[in-house]
Amino acid sequence: MTELTFPAVLRRGLPRARYIALAVRLAAAAAIAIYALTTPGFLTLLSANALFTAISFVGCVAVGMTFITLTGNIMSLAIGATVSASALIFLACLSLGILPAILVALLFGVVITGAQGFLVGHLRANPILVSVAALSLLLGGAAFVTGGHHIYPSGAGLEIFKDRFAGIPIDAWCFFTTVAVGQFILSWTRIGRLMTMVGSNVRAATAAGVSTTATVTAAYVIAGACASISGILLAARYGSGDMEIGVGYDYTAIAAVLVGGTGIAGGSGSTLRTLVGVIVISVIEVVLLLRGFSEQLQYLITGLLVLCVIMLHTLGERR
Amino acid sequence: MTFGNAVQRLFAPSARPFTIVVGTIIVLGLFDRGTGYFFSIGTVFSVMQLFATLGLVALGLGLSMLIREFDLSVSGMVGLAGCIAVLTGASNPWLGAALGVAAGLLGGLIQGLIMTRLNLSSVGVTLGGLLTMQGLTYVLTDNQTISYPKIAVPLGLNAPLAGLFSLRSVVALAVFAIAALAMRYTRLGRDVIATGSDRRASRIAGLNTDRVVISVFAASGGSSALAGVLLSYSLGAASPVALSDVLAPAAAAAIVGGVSVIGGRGSPMGIAAGVLTLCILSSGLSAIGVAPYVHDLVTGAILLVIAILDAPDLAQRITTWQFDRAERQRNALKGASS
Repeated sequence: MTELTFPAVLRRGLPRARYIALAVRLAAAAAIAIYALTTPGFLTLLSANALFTAISFVGCVAVGMTFITLTGNIMSLAIGATVSASALIFLACLSLGILPAILVALLFGVVITGAQGFLVGHLRANPILVSVAALSLLLGGAAFVTGGHHIYPSGAGLEIFKDRFAGIPIDAWCFFTTVAVGQFILSWTRIGRLMTMVGSNVRAATAAGVSTTATVTAAYVIAGACASISGILLAARYGSGDMEIGVGYDYTAIAAVLVGGTGIAGGSGSTLRTLVGVIVISVIEVVLLLRGFSEQLQYLITGLLVLCVIMLHTLGERR
Repeated sequence: MTFGNAVQRLFAPSARPFTIVVGTIIVLGLFDRGTGYFFSIGTVFSVMQLFATLGLVALGLGLSMLIREFDLSVSGMVGLAGCIAVLTGASNPWLGAALGVAAGLLGGLIQGLIMTRLNLSSVGVTLGGLLTMQGLTYVLTDNQTISYPKIAVPLGLNAPLAGLFSLRSVVALAVFAIAALAMRYTRLGRDVIATGSDRRASRIAGLNTDRVVISVFAASGGSSALAGVLLSYSLGAASPVALSDVLAPAAAAAIVGGVSVIGGRGSPMGIAAGVLTLCILSSGLSAIGVAPYVHDLVTGAILLVIAILDAPDLAQRITTWQFDRAERQRNALKGASS
């Protein structure tokens, strides 16, 4: 396992079940890699960075979702709607200039999701119910403000998102930065370590004097910011938006989080794992597409593989 | 104090879902201001129609929450069972319905087996199950909307019975009645509550908790599958994309209905009351004639209030806050006197 440092492995030795699990995982990864690399057109796609762009949108959401899962709050059903609403706000604020628009959209995601985090962290309210309430409020609010219409950019400046930096699309840079910053927060900052602690045992953390309010709210704030980043990127890519733009992103994101190996019970996980999960799912999807499977079969095979990977993760572990 | 006691009793966990339903009816009735749109047979009928779909899904999800699990796959089951019923029931609707419900039971059974045999969490397994079932639905329907050839079936299912019900809502009510009786009077019902309250203790006491988990997931799959069959038959069509958003309202209905996520608390009748609350809000608000977005806003606000009132740490936080305020006042007085 990744969290075992090498000396610890030498001292205790890996249990046999873990060896088997590790071997199965490596074999599975190798199988996916070989199958992908022998697919005609996959390498061109890699070199054209098209894959990176495709994974950025859901990738950002998944990084944010990692924080919610890690603090022991399973998932938020409102994240997809937050992505959509941030996209709409970004487009509507573009007349103020590109930077203010980005900031307003980010602020929106942070406040909306942070408020949910406050309720969950401060009062230990049920995270699923809070997110369903937020989902209803977001949908109702958006329908009230937009009247259900499409929103088009109110100003110019979207072109900068179509640029490339060092040959890699801006969307991909945003995603990789989110992963790196997320991992930095989790591994190297106090609040990040506290998130893992709260996630693994709330009562122990509270007894040790950790403020669950601050910790959980911070996790949700990060999730909200990530959702907004995804919304901004989506809005820039499509040039218009409605509340449908982020539908389903919550489920894809939690799938990526779980495929990456972050535990659903909280307390173990990282954004690097989520990066792996996002890549595995997208590679499977792209390969199925390139191999000419029908759209229906793509859905089915992706679903089955996600189920298998999730089952693989707990192989040889005791819950 | 008697008034306080009465209020306390109304909001006790076992009675609260029913208090909320009655409260919703009274408040909507006040907003109606005697125009009679809300208190009409038509509204009751449409409430019951909504109840038929949402209720059975919420029942399945609620049962899984009772044993501290979470069945994300219910919405996938609704779509899959609907498609199976429409595809196989072209000549004989009963056959289609039976196969649809059987698929639901089987799906739940397999998921339950995976969870118990491999010691996996339900969210991960049912998420994979959800994606798989959606994929299966796409494959079966070839990514198209499939219409059901027998016109008589939708008409028969939706025809009003006694003005208030339809065959569809009567079936849903019957399932709720069976579930309520089973939970109250059978061994399995008590085993479910025991498993939800403390799984380790139940296992040590000699209860086969794995069997309970598998049964609950099979029941959850069967119940949501029945909802899908009834819905597809009454629409006369099945489509792979329809109804992916049934999970959120179903979860909300179960929690409003008093199912606690901590497990072991809740009853089918409470879930029915929770579903009724959401359905009454939905049809009641449109009967009064408010814009559709108001419905979303009101539902969201109510769910938020319930989430806050239900939060385990709320009382403690309020006490701490009051204590702090008293402390501050005392300090301020001290500062003033010295």
